[in-house]
Amino acid sequence: MIQFENVSKIYQHNDSELRAVDQVDLTVHKGEIFGVIGFSGAGKSTLIRLVNLLEKPSEGRVLINGEDLAKLTKPDLRKVRKRIGMIFQHFNLLESKTVHHNVAFPLSLSGTPKKDMNQRVKEILEFVGLSDKAKQYPEELSGGQKQRVGIARALATSPDILLCDEATSALDPETTKSILRLLRKVRDEYGITILMITHEMNVVREVCDRIAVMESGQVIEKGSIFDLFSKPQHPTTKNFVRTVMENDIPASILNGIDERDSSRNIYRFTFVDESAGQPVLSQIAKKFDVEVNVLFGQITELQGVPFGHLVVELQGEDPEILRVINHIQQKVAVQEVTSHAG
Amino acid sequence: MQVNLMEFWPRIWEATYQTLLMVGISLFAATLIGLPLGIILVVTRHGGLLENKPFFNGFSTVVNFFRSIPFIILLVAILPFTRLIVGSSIGTAAAVVPLVIFSAPYIARLVESSLLEVKPGVIEAAESMGATPWQIVRRVYIPEALSSIILNLTIATIGLVGASAMAGFVGGGGLGDLAISYGYQRFETDIMIATVLLLVFIVQITQTVGNFASKKIRRQ
Repeated sequence: MIQFENVSKIYQHNDSELRAVDQVDLTVHKGEIFGVIGFSGAGKSTLIRLVNLLEKPSEGRVLINGEDLAKLTKPDLRKVRKRIGMIFQHFNLLESKTVHHNVAFPLSLSGTPKKDMNQRVKEILEFVGLSDKAKQYPEELSGGQKQRVGIARALATSPDILLCDEATSALDPETTKSILRLLRKVRDEYGITILMITHEMNVVREVCDRIAVMESGQVIEKGSIFDLFSKPQHPTTKNFVRTVMENDIPASILNGIDERDSSRNIYRFTFVDESAGQPVLSQIAKKFDVEVNVLFGQITELQGVPFGHLVVELQGEDPEILRVINHIQQKVAVQEVTSHAG
Repeated sequence: MQVNLMEFWPRIWEATYQTLLMVGISLFAATLIGLPLGIILVVTRHGGLLENKPFFNGFSTVVNFFRSIPFIILLVAILPFTRLIVGSSIGTAAAVVPLVIFSAPYIARLVESSLLEVKPGVIEAAESMGATPWQIVRRVYIPEALSSIILNLTIATIGLVGASAMAGFVGGGGLGDLAISYGYQRFETDIMIATVLLLVFIVQITQTVGNFASKKIRRQ
C-alpha cells in the first residue's frame, strides 16, 4: 500500500520556487492498478519518484506499507527499494549485458547464489515470454521486448510494488496493448500493487482500477475509471476523456441542426451499465407515437461495463415527446441538446 | 646511403624499445591513477551519486592545473620529485615519472567524459534497485562505458607517444630523441625518415588495436 500524506516537492531555483508536486493526498491500495494521468510537466514523474525516494519529499510523508522511507538509513532504504520494482519509458537496460544478465542484475546486487539466480531468471523470463531471448543483447530487441526485459528485471526480486514511469509511451499501440496485458497479468498472478503514470488516456482505460488526474503538481480529480469517464468534473479531465471518447457532436451534424428550425427536439441519452443493453429506442418507437432519428453516438466499454451516449432527434407532437422523456428518464440520463453547447 | 642507414639499425631498435617501454609503463601507471580520478570527478559532480560541490570544484581545478602545464616545462619542473621516485633524474625510467603526471589528469578527463555518456536513466534504474554507489560504479558505470573508455585510452596512448619524443631532455632516449639528435641536429635525413615512419606505424597500430578492442567489447 502506498500513501501520500499532504506531500509536496519544491525545487528552489535562485529566487523562484517550483512546486513540482503540490500537497498531494493519495492512497493506492494493495493489489490495485492505480494510474496517474497528466500532461507533461504536471508533476507525475516527480510523484512516482517520491515513492522509492529517488526524490525526497519537501513536505508531508510518503508511506509504503505504513513505513516512511525518508526516515530510514541508507542501507535500510536500499533494502526497501529491492521490494519496489520500477520500469521506465526508455527501458534503461544495461546495453553491455545480455537479457539474462540484465534480469539477474538486481539479484546479483544482493549476492543471490548463482544457482538460485539462474533459476529465478529462467522463471521470470518465461513469465514475460522471452525465454528464447536470454542470450541476446538489448540492442537486438524491439521496444516491446525491451520493456518485457524491464518488467522481468523489476520483478526479479519479487517486489510488492511496481512503479511504471510512462512505461508504454515509447511503444506503438499494438505493443502498448500487449505490455498492458502483461502488467495486468503481473497484478493478477503475483498480487503486486501497480502505480503507473502516463499521459495516455487509453492506457489507463485499458488497465487501471482507479486514476488520479494531475495538473500543476496537484491532484485535481480522482476516482474509479468509470466515474471519471462517465462524470468528469474538471476541464482537464474532460479533455483527457475526449482523447478517447468523442463527446462532442460533430460540427457537420450541429450545422445541420442550426440551419433548419431550432424547434427540433434533440436529446442526448447517456447509457450506463445495464441500460446500454436495453432496446430503449425501439421501445420508444413502439410505445409512443414518435419517430426516432439517431444523429450521432458512441458506445464503448469501461472496466467491463458498457458505457456510451446517443444523440437522438424525436419527431412528433410536443406532449407525446414529453411523455417519451418522462418514460425514458427512468432508464438513461437525458439531456436536451439546444445549440453548439452539445 | 643504404649502408649508412644499416649502421643505425641497432640504434633504431633500441630507441623503439625505449619508446614502447616509456609509453607502456606510463600508460599503465597513468590509467591506474586517472581511472579513479575520472570516477571521482563523475560521482562528486552536481547530480552525481555522491554529490559534493566544494570538493568537485577544488578537485576539478587541480586536474586543470596539471593539464595546463606544457610537458616540456613539467619535465624539468618536477626533476626533484622524479629523483625521489626513481632515484635518478636521467634515463628512461626518469622520463616515465613526468609522463605519468602529464597524462594521468588527461586520462581522468577522458574517463570522466566516457562515464558521462552512460545514460542517467540507467544509473537511476540501478539506484531504484537498491544498488550502492560502489556497485553502481563497478557494475554499471565501468562496464557500460568500457568501450568508450578504451577508445579514449587509445587517444591518450597516442598523446603519450608524442610526449615521449621530448624524453630526450632527461636522457630518456626513444624514437623522438633519435630523430632530434641524429636526424635533425646531425642532418641525417635517413634516420629522420626511419624514425618518423616507425612513429607513424606505432600510432597506426595503436589506433587499430584500440578500435578493434572497443568494438569487441561493445559486442562482447
